[in-house]
Amino acid sequence: MPGKLGVYICTGCAIGDALDAAKLVKCATGELKAPVCRTHAMLCGAEGCGLIRQDLETKAVDTVVIAGCSPRFKTEVFNFNHGSVVERVNLREHVAWCHKPQDEDTQMLAEDYLRMGVARALKTEAGEPLHDEISRTLLVIGGGVTGITAALEAAAAGYQVVLVEKEEELGGRAAHSRRLAQEIEGLAESALYHPRIRTLCLAQVVKIEGQPGMFDVAVSTAGGRETIRAGAIVVATGWKPYDASRLTHLGYGISPDVITNADLERMAAAGPILRPSTQQPVRSVLFVQCAGSRDKEHLPYCSSACCMGTLHQIGYLRQQDPEALVYVIYKDMRTPGQDERVYREVQDHPMNFFTKGEVESVRPWSNGTLAVTVNNTLLGDSITVCVDLVVLATGMVPNASEQILNLAYRQGPELPVLQDGFPDSHFICFPYETRRTGIYAAGVARAPMDDALARTDGMGAALKALQSMEMAAQGQAVHPRGGDDSYPSFFLQRCTQCKRCTEECPFGALDEDAKGTPQPNLYRCRRCGICMGACPERIVSFRNYSVDMIASMIKAIEVPEEAEEKPRVLALVCENDAYPALDLAGVRRRQYDANVRVIPLRCLGSLNIVWIADALSRGIDGVLLIGCKYGDDYQCHFTKGSELAARRLENVKETLQRLQLEPERLQLTQLAINEWDKLPELFDGFVERMRELGPNPYKGL
Amino acid sequence: MAEAVLVQPDASLIREIIAMGGGDLKKCYQCGTCAVSCDLSAEDVSFPRRQMLAAQWGLRDRLMEDPGPWLCFYCGGCTTRCPRKANPGEVMMALRRYLTAQYDWTGLSGLMYRSAFWEIGALALVAALVVLAFVLPHGFGFGLLAQSPAALESVNLGQFAPKEIVHIADRLLALLLGLLLLVNASRMFRALTRGKDIPLGAYLRAIPNLLVEAATQRRWRGCQDHTAASNWRRHLLLVTGYATIFTLVVVFLPWFQVEDSGFHWTSLLGYYAAGILLWSTASMLWDRARRRSEMHRFSELSDWLFPALLFLTALTGILLHAFRLSNWPMATCTMYVIHLAIAVPMLVVEVPFGKWAHLFYRPVAIYVAAVSRESSKGSSSNLGARSN
Repeated sequence: MPGKLGVYICTGCAIGDALDAAKLVKCATGELKAPVCRTHAMLCGAEGCGLIRQDLETKAVDTVVIAGCSPRFKTEVFNFNHGSVVERVNLREHVAWCHKPQDEDTQMLAEDYLRMGVARALKTEAGEPLHDEISRTLLVIGGGVTGITAALEAAAAGYQVVLVEKEEELGGRAAHSRRLAQEIEGLAESALYHPRIRTLCLAQVVKIEGQPGMFDVAVSTAGGRETIRAGAIVVATGWKPYDASRLTHLGYGISPDVITNADLERMAAAGPILRPSTQQPVRSVLFVQCAGSRDKEHLPYCSSACCMGTLHQIGYLRQQDPEALVYVIYKDMRTPGQDERVYREVQDHPMNFFTKGEVESVRPWSNGTLAVTVNNTLLGDSITVCVDLVVLATGMVPNASEQILNLAYRQGPELPVLQDGFPDSHFICFPYETRRTGIYAAGVARAPMDDALARTDGMGAALKALQSMEMAAQGQAVHPRGGDDSYPSFFLQRCTQCKRCTEECPFGALDEDAKGTPQPNLYRCRRCGICMGACPERIVSFRNYSVDMIASMIKAIEVPEEAEEKPRVLALVCENDAYPALDLAGVRRRQYDANVRVIPLRCLGSLNIVWIADALSRGIDGVLLIGCKYGDDYQCHFTKGSELAARRLENVKETLQRLQLEPERLQLTQLAINEWDKLPELFDGFVERMRELGPNPYKGL
Repeated sequence: MAEAVLVQPDASLIREIIAMGGGDLKKCYQCGTCAVSCDLSAEDVSFPRRQMLAAQWGLRDRLMEDPGPWLCFYCGGCTTRCPRKANPGEVMMALRRYLTAQYDWTGLSGLMYRSAFWEIGALALVAALVVLAFVLPHGFGFGLLAQSPAALESVNLGQFAPKEIVHIADRLLALLLGLLLLVNASRMFRALTRGKDIPLGAYLRAIPNLLVEAATQRRWRGCQDHTAASNWRRHLLLVTGYATIFTLVVVFLPWFQVEDSGFHWTSLLGYYAAGILLWSTASMLWDRARRRSEMHRFSELSDWLFPALLFLTALTGILLHAFRLSNWPMATCTMYVIHLAIAVPMLVVEVPFGKWAHLFYRPVAIYVAAVSRESSKGSSSNLGARSN
């Protein structure tokens, strides 16, 4: 029973000027019955921390509530490594810096936050982190540039690596490139002879079971089938060229002399570049850039490497014939950074001709040549050019969604992908992450890129994978709740097998038994709490985050009588974007209405609708939910959290109508972290609308 | 959409333009900054972007039909603003060299623009011929002096170089060079007007403008670059000096060439011409040497030779005049030959084959651009239209 509560109030950073600390102490010791309550002008200093540490060491206190700056700051200072519960109350960014000093409403806000913080602290339980035997072997799938780099990096860091390649030899596509073959050969050799890398060629992953730290990967090889225990997985399965048979409008198929950039690369790697129809040297060639790329009918994206690919291939041609005519028809030449130098150099050759344009047709011409007609050129007209060879610079299609991983997961055998076929991830903040914890995508399997970037990618993904194994070994979550050693527990006796949690978990952490009862794989869990929000029976909880805990915080809010004309608004905000945004508003000293009470949620997807009912039935006038942006360009750190919350609200609105409450009392807003300046307006506007609606009729009931 | 044009790049053209100073030509990536920043570029005759592309792609017909290169006065604004350092200003200059060579049916122009050996060689050859003309005959020049030393007692150009003969010779030369130039200019005219249906009336109506343009380079005034006004003034002065001396020599030589050491009023006009020519060409050469403004940053041999020879012509002319007034017979005769050995090669090489020809080509191009604009009013042409 947590009973030895200690409340520590910092009066530094203008908190003491804005608030009456004595009243706060009175609230803590009186109403909240805290046996220990101290104030200090600089709690984060050695002396301030000493007070707390001393109380902990003398066992005068086992539950610490620190009221001062935002919990996003001074995390190390207030980490006492003691196993005790430490809860932070944000009196600085959310109270003192953004509300009228020495004001009744500001004081009420601070006291409410103190009540809520104490409620939260008292509902937090100490607990042991997960501890199982964790494998520190990294499995890398795909032995191309990316995969080999990932394997070498992990091995260099001292980890055991198993590298699985489906072809006979390592090297991937780069091994068939004239420019890269030699380099890749060297890279492959260093992997082959590395003492910590076990290379399996002609091998495929047939099944993956388990979770980070304990994946059981069944691999079929020429020698049979074996199961490998791996701690984490890097998916570097690369790409295939876009299917050129769909590019008949660009002449593919009308003549053997219309080829793709991949065909040309193979030809150039093997020997001289010849016209396929005659086996004679090529005297003139036309490259069609973006062949089936950046095109709604084909690949909507830019593969980013084809412009440079073409420039390199022109280089091969120049080596064999300095006088050959080379035409390049592009949408835009994309050669960022140093690549621009290559573009300039190639452009400088008198016999290289570049123009923007759209290829209208490719048709046979006299002497077996091909006539290419191009519209909308920079020359001001449509032009026709006759050439020996047409090269279609086709884009990259990721090998990420078919028969790669064969996961024995309830949510499907492969990585969830976005509309373009690349693995879904919060790619702005966490490259390499996928929606399967412990499995990291790298190279073109993740996003289109060239070989140089693929190496960086292999390195990055390897580091993330190693990190994930180490976190698993400590029983901690990976990004974005890195270091969190809580985990969800399921009170399965009350489970109704509705499957909402197993369906909604963005990371596929929950499998099911035959009846549909969730079977948690806790090492896959990212601790977002979406299962907790999904569960209608409220059987999911964390030791430090639960439906009951948030409900207690809501109940701790003091709701003034109707006559006082002080509306109360509850804001449930995402801790990843909206909460830091609100801190920023405080740092910038933006002022807003002091009638709003903010509770951070791990993700808006962990919103359990019972909280809304709790709030409104207690007379709180309105509930504001602030989550990350969702949709195609979502910014949710847990992929779908705010979208799921929005879906759950649909049901709540009906409930509101039944209770004869205006639907306007509930509002969900999407907010990005850089939109902090919109928050004051949002709060003020919402409170104003609540005033207009009049008090919640359930007030005081 | 119009019928697609069959494009066959002319490799030799690209190499020739590069050899004539357009070495940065291929760097252009067609952003069009040059054309939009040029005060003189117009929608119907747009430059330099179009010419950059036509040259890059080796499209000879397009360049031959295009008056654009001659409509540019090379302020260099495009070069300054070019994000790719493709130097459009100098490429336009190279194009003018290339076109001058193309208009010339003898092919000599091209040889001289491509090779310093040919250019210097041609000048030296003509100079040698001039000197030989004064050395070889017996009753004339140094031959005469050798026979009758009495001729050296006082300045007597009437014996050394009788003005009747010189006058006939200079008019013959003017006629010959004029004819060559006329042939080249008519080839230019035909190239510019090919495929264009321009009524005779339009040509006639534009003649007054042609004359004004030829005399004053009025179009240059449209350029807002800070260097344009002073360059135009200097050039206009040079034109007046040049026109004065040209008229004196070709029309009024019997009065202008005074044969004894006396003074004649025509020398006053000569002073004007010599003063202007010396100052303006010296200042142009100085600018080229300093390479401060865009126009003067890149100099091919041909850019040096024309002003240098003009300067030397004026210098030797004024020295000849001084020696004659001083009554130094041998010095006068020698300077007379040196003067001609500079002026004649300059004219022979530069008028039909070189930089001098811009006196004709520029006004003709402006003229053709004006008449084709007038005749195409109402009917639209996509020739100058930007595609994006």
